[in-house]
Amino acid sequence: MSENVNSDQDNASSVISINQLNKWYGDFHVLKDINLQVAKGERIVICGPSGSGKSTLIRCINRLEEFQRGSLIVDGVEMIEDVKNIEAIRREVGMVFQHFNLFPHLSILDNLTLGPIWVQKKPKAEAEATAMRYLERVKIPDQANKFPGQLSGGQQQRVAIARSLCINPKIMLFDEPTSALDPEMIKEVLDVMVELAEEGMTMLCVTHEMGFAKKVADRVIFMDAGEIVEQNTPKEFFDNPQVDRTQKFLEQILAH
Amino acid sequence: MFYRKTTEQIKAATRPSSVGAKAFYNNPKYRGWIYQALLLIFLLAFFFGIISNTLDNMAAQGIKSGFRFLETSVGFDVLMSLIPFDTTDTYARIFLVGFLNTVLVSLIGIFFATILGFIFGIAYFSQNWLIKKISIVYVETFRNIPVILQVLFWYSAVLATLPSAKDSLQIGDSIFLNIRGLYLPKLIDESGSSIVYISIVLAIIAVFVLRHWAKKRQALTGQQFPLLKASLGILFGLPLLALLVTGVPFHFDYPVLKGFNFTGGTNIIPELISLSIALSVYTGAFIAEAVRAGDQSVPKGQTEAARSIGLKEGRIMSLIIVPQSMRVIAPMLNSEYQSLVKNSTVATAIGYPELFTVFAGSALNQVGQAIEMMFMTLAVYFVLNMLISCIMNLFNRSVAITSR
Amino acid sequence: MSTKEFKPLPAQPAPVSTVGPVAWVRENLFSSKFNIIATILIVFALASVLPGTIDWLFISANWSGTTEAACVKDGACWVFIRAWSKQIFYGSYPSGELWRVNLCLFLLVVIIALSFILPARLRNRVAVPLFLLLPFISLVILNGRLIGLEYVSTDKWGGFSLDIMIAAASMIIAFPLSFLWALGRRSNMPFARSVSVTCIEFFRGTPILALFFMGSVMLPLFFPQGVTVDKLLRVWIILVLFMSAYMAEVFRSGFQAIPQGQYEAADSIGLGYWQKTMLIIFPQVVKISMPNILATFVMVFKNTVFLLVIAVPEMLQIVMTALSNSNWLGGHAAEGYLFVGFIFWICCFSMSMMADKIEKILDTDKRD
Repeated sequence: MSENVNSDQDNASSVISINQLNKWYGDFHVLKDINLQVAKGERIVICGPSGSGKSTLIRCINRLEEFQRGSLIVDGVEMIEDVKNIEAIRREVGMVFQHFNLFPHLSILDNLTLGPIWVQKKPKAEAEATAMRYLERVKIPDQANKFPGQLSGGQQQRVAIARSLCINPKIMLFDEPTSALDPEMIKEVLDVMVELAEEGMTMLCVTHEMGFAKKVADRVIFMDAGEIVEQNTPKEFFDNPQVDRTQKFLEQILAH
Repeated sequence: MFYRKTTEQIKAATRPSSVGAKAFYNNPKYRGWIYQALLLIFLLAFFFGIISNTLDNMAAQGIKSGFRFLETSVGFDVLMSLIPFDTTDTYARIFLVGFLNTVLVSLIGIFFATILGFIFGIAYFSQNWLIKKISIVYVETFRNIPVILQVLFWYSAVLATLPSAKDSLQIGDSIFLNIRGLYLPKLIDESGSSIVYISIVLAIIAVFVLRHWAKKRQALTGQQFPLLKASLGILFGLPLLALLVTGVPFHFDYPVLKGFNFTGGTNIIPELISLSIALSVYTGAFIAEAVRAGDQSVPKGQTEAARSIGLKEGRIMSLIIVPQSMRVIAPMLNSEYQSLVKNSTVATAIGYPELFTVFAGSALNQVGQAIEMMFMTLAVYFVLNMLISCIMNLFNRSVAITSR
Repeated sequence: MSTKEFKPLPAQPAPVSTVGPVAWVRENLFSSKFNIIATILIVFALASVLPGTIDWLFISANWSGTTEAACVKDGACWVFIRAWSKQIFYGSYPSGELWRVNLCLFLLVVIIALSFILPARLRNRVAVPLFLLLPFISLVILNGRLIGLEYVSTDKWGGFSLDIMIAAASMIIAFPLSFLWALGRRSNMPFARSVSVTCIEFFRGTPILALFFMGSVMLPLFFPQGVTVDKLLRVWIILVLFMSAYMAEVFRSGFQAIPQGQYEAADSIGLGYWQKTMLIIFPQVVKISMPNILATFVMVFKNTVFLLVIAVPEMLQIVMTALSNSNWLGGHAAEGYLFVGFIFWICCFSMSMMADKIEKILDTDKRD
């Protein structure tokens, strides 16, 4: 298989289509000519050293970061400077953050129903039923009436995943979801993510959990210095990296 | 706690004396009691000394004691009073006059300081460089200059340079500003005006009912209701309708220049204007700081998370940012309001007749019963501050939803 | 197995639309309709106010001369400040003896500098006692009778130097007292605690002006008959108590920030209560409370102006007296108050900045 898996893939069938994307922070060129097509149901793991632009890239997809050049189409909607447009895209994309970012002043249940009630305009009872369903899926229905500060990190992150799922997104973005967790909690979060992947959710996941990548990813992308260095199926990527930079990176993170 | 201590004491007392005797002063519990006993003895001696000295001094200077003076007449007039007052009224009444004036200037100050504070506090986060800089300049200028100086500045450097009554600055033919203060038209009720007042009360009640209904409907059906627009419509519409139906049962009493001064209308004296400006601007700077701190206490991730679930910017503000920042702002507001009330005593530098100036100042000068009169004055400030504390705690409870 | 070598793409310059002065102006001044309107309005307002103000303050201002007659131009009459500058800074202290005031101020600066320069070990042994002695040394120098200098009574002390000295002297004496009150408030002796709480809440809840009034009309009644206590001394007592109450609360929050482990560690090496408090806890409390201590000092420093209400000749009181002087009746209130405001602003602003800076340093300390 060639390093450019998607070169022959039709842009029309992809749910995310990124073409020649460039972004600068002031004078600093963070993303350089990024091209990426994501098919529906595809699971992508993005890895790379810190500062390589991987988080910035996925934050561009729901417009938490703006970019200066290139185009980005999410589910057929082109990202342009327009509030309605941005809101439409954000409704289709769920995001999970490194530091959970749960709303500390709201109970778990209220955290989950906030989106359905205010964005999707659902009745409260229906929103709560949905929320409870997702809480059961992440296996903490009994915590519904607690506040975020009373939960462990792993539980908080599972609530955060449930919160994103409540708005019924087509695409899920994960920005280093396990980096802020204690080792024994990483598994409970990864289990939820694996389950989600098996159900066919389109996922873009920035993570260094290589076990997760091997298990569920359709494609692994390695980024450095603001560009996509190499992308391949997990098997090829880990067994047979094509670029020296990738090899070095893998040696470092798989060393122990 | 206290109970526990006493039982320990009893236990200690029943212990065989030979056990405790050796080192009883080294036992931390006994030590504590010894220290406290010494403190008590010291305080008793201190207060006994003070009281006996005071009584001696009062006797020597012929100062009376007790609260009989409250019933005698004061014999001087005040610059401004919210209730009818003349020189034959009693000290009890001038106490009330001063108290009402303190409350008036405190309310005006709190109202405008809050508005200024929130405007400049939020302005700090403006994308506009100029607005941000103006916010910084405002806060850093006014909180670093003594408030008494600001009062004097507005009073003698700004308001005192206004023209005389004849050359008043004016807006239309009804509002005049001159060296004697601000003259506004006065609203005079006619028959039927009570209907308009009732309609205002009804409108306020209607807004609460509407809010409740909208909340309930949203919970049931998910439909959102344009509450703000509807509320504003009711608040203005209903009284307007009442006005039209009753045929505008009001007329204005306009200030008119007669000779060297204005008659009619309402006069806001320059002392009150300058004190209100100074207190609002000074406290506003501190409130702006509090608002800034409150806003910064909400991590950026909160906004990002709210955006990622598709909330609109306005909703992010009202559902996520404000409730969280209020938990930081409300306690600070509480202490700023309290210091505003305490700072209203600077009125004494320009002679605005609030409680401290008329009672602890003018009246005390005449009567000389310092102890009683200072006690009464201080009690008012303590009570006012407690009241503010209670109201702010209630407010705090209503905005700060429990979380840990 | 052959691998490709990774050569990063060269970084391209950011598009002109996002960097450079044009982009800065667009982003910071004209980023939305609201901002465009706001910017235009602000620029317009500044343009209509600033030139006139600058002209009045500087260009058309009268700078030289000694009497009111020298103020011929339309602008500010700074001659007024010049003519009264000696009183504004030193009150009516005798002209030939001003070196004594300067010496006291110089000593204050030296001791403050010492406490920064000296190594930690000497700081506690040298700077702290010097600080505590300074108010009394200054009293002796300014009064002069004990050391055979010309006697200057306290009603002649005044001006800005009085504001500085009385604020500093209050701060110094309030420091140990407030620490005691804070300890009292934390103590588990119920009586000692309620006494501390009463003191703290009384002095925090009372307007400073009322306290000064009490100092001037009530305090004399408390002393035995025939004993008259100097007015400035009474004011000093009041300021010390006032500041102690605020500082006690500052220290209390400082105490709360000390981790329990510090107390346990101190207990575990067998230190007694006072050793534990003074050697382990106190230095840490002072360090974390530093920004708030400075803020309290700024507050008290600003409050020294309130002394004018009981006719203590501090800076603002002197300016007010000067304004009613029959040779200067031309209405110089704006100049006088602006000048006093400016002096206070400089002092308070620089101290606030310092507090912010210390806070940032402490914050980074915590993170490490």
